[in-house]
Amino acid sequence: MDWKRAWIGYAWAVAATALCSLAGMAMRPRFDLVNVAMVYVLAVVVVALRFTRGPAISTAVLSVLSFDVIFVPPQGALTVDDVQYLLTFAIMLGVALVISRLTEDVRRRARAQADLAVEAETERIRSALLASISHDLRTPLAVMAGASSSLAEHGEKLRPEDRAALARSVFEQAREMSGHVSKVLQMTRLETGAIALDRDWASLGEIAGSALHQLAERLAEHRVILEIPADLPLVRVDAALAEQALANLLENAARHTPAGTVVRLRALRSGGEIVVSVENFGGDLPDADLERIFAKFERGEMEAGGGMGLGLAICRAIVRLHGGRAWAERIAGGGIAFRFSLPVEEAPGIPAEAAALP
Amino acid sequence: MTGARATILVVEDEPEIRRFLRATLDAEGYRVVESPSGRRGSIDAATHKPDMAIVDLGLPDMDGVEVIRRIRRWSGMPIVVLSARAHERSKIEALDAGADDYVTKPFPIGELLARIRAALRHAVRPPSGRRTLAFDGATIDLDARNAMRDGVEVRLTPIEFRLLAALARHAGMVVTQRQLLEEVWGPTHRDDTHYLRIYMKQLRDKLERDPLRPRHLLTETGIGYRLVADD
Repeated sequence: MDWKRAWIGYAWAVAATALCSLAGMAMRPRFDLVNVAMVYVLAVVVVALRFTRGPAISTAVLSVLSFDVIFVPPQGALTVDDVQYLLTFAIMLGVALVISRLTEDVRRRARAQADLAVEAETERIRSALLASISHDLRTPLAVMAGASSSLAEHGEKLRPEDRAALARSVFEQAREMSGHVSKVLQMTRLETGAIALDRDWASLGEIAGSALHQLAERLAEHRVILEIPADLPLVRVDAALAEQALANLLENAARHTPAGTVVRLRALRSGGEIVVSVENFGGDLPDADLERIFAKFERGEMEAGGGMGLGLAICRAIVRLHGGRAWAERIAGGGIAFRFSLPVEEAPGIPAEAAALP
Repeated sequence: MTGARATILVVEDEPEIRRFLRATLDAEGYRVVESPSGRRGSIDAATHKPDMAIVDLGLPDMDGVEVIRRIRRWSGMPIVVLSARAHERSKIEALDAGADDYVTKPFPIGELLARIRAALRHAVRPPSGRRTLAFDGATIDLDARNAMRDGVEVRLTPIEFRLLAALARHAGMVVTQRQLLEEVWGPTHRDDTHYLRIYMKQLRDKLERDPLRPRHLLTETGIGYRLVADD
């Protein structure tokens, strides 16, 4: 939209000059012509700072013309009978050129710096992605190749329980890998804006139940406590994505907390938002990790639970798409809460239905 | 369908996937007809007259949804869709085109077999006879229009009952939100999804042992609901 921006610049040139002329007329009875000219310089500076050279020069030219016509005697006519005003014009033009040049330089440098930062981030992510592919995908592949070749070549010689165990581990590793791959794809889709939200009225109770159902096996060894108030309002979200955001938090808990520990899933209304939390008790993270843990390919320094560090980043990306936040914090008594918020909108009503079936 | 072996048409382009589907379905006692493409599948559906079809949505020559439409022009056979796409929209599109259920790849085979059983059972349900179903201490008699929980009658509102009945008619299978809204509240309410959230919660509160962790009145997030009853 370059032409649009340029157009706005020229509109500013005209508006700023007109404004200065009005200000000048108000000043004229009590101030010197020189001071009136200074007001025009201000207009040139402002436009030059905000826009490109074209609008800046236009402002300078318009200012000199307006100044000459309105204020320099004989008023109401364009006369350049005094060499002084030629100088005024030259200075205005100079100011316009110098400032636009400086602004342009600053902008260019900022852009270059931003590009560098993006490049560095891309590089970091690329190397983290490679590291995670080599570890998180190669390990399951090795297990699958080993277990399945053993089944294919020595199937009859294996004891039945070993055969079943090998087959099961092929399945589990494949499922794990498939999860990794969908996460990488999902993250890419979220980042390139290829995901359009399909918002609809959804119940967090349902979403939580469904996410828990999805992760039932992974959380079988944990004690899951579910706290969702019966009067929690409906939320307008893409339910499938919201479920994924929550499932990723639960998966994170399953992966990084020991079996037998408590995982508490709760949702609360807090002012204009609903806060959904997955809390675990016992573990701790350094402050730096609390900050970074929702970033891509980050996992806590001390953890060894596997996973590519994409789950929380996907959670945050999904929540942000919905206008919410995702963060981690310590909870009183020891433990970490992973939370996200979703804005509350007023849900439409539903006709009352009093009569029960006789 | 007990007795005669049911024939299942598998429309899937990946030979490896067809191979393990055939092996498993064979072992389960089904007869399998394999079609490697959408065009072939549409023809095989007519010539082999299978009892049901499994259709992959990601076919190279034709959208799986189109295969479903072609079959639906002349047949009401159950169709279960295999979808590699996590995207809910393609599943809904397939269900709206007439598919009865779906499984997302990669799937544990048990899940697919359960869908197949539910679909075949639905197809052969005798039109007469008392329609009842039971799960986890709850029994529902669709004809007497009553529901019991642990031997005690559960009082359902007329809308709650209509919703429960709509799910029960497709027991074991997914029912889309739009289908439920149209069946229970009528076509003018097909976008009032918040009705479903509220009434499903009421049903769970009355029928599930742990309403927050339902085991029978399940949510298929973004798609619809599924009632899983005892076989």
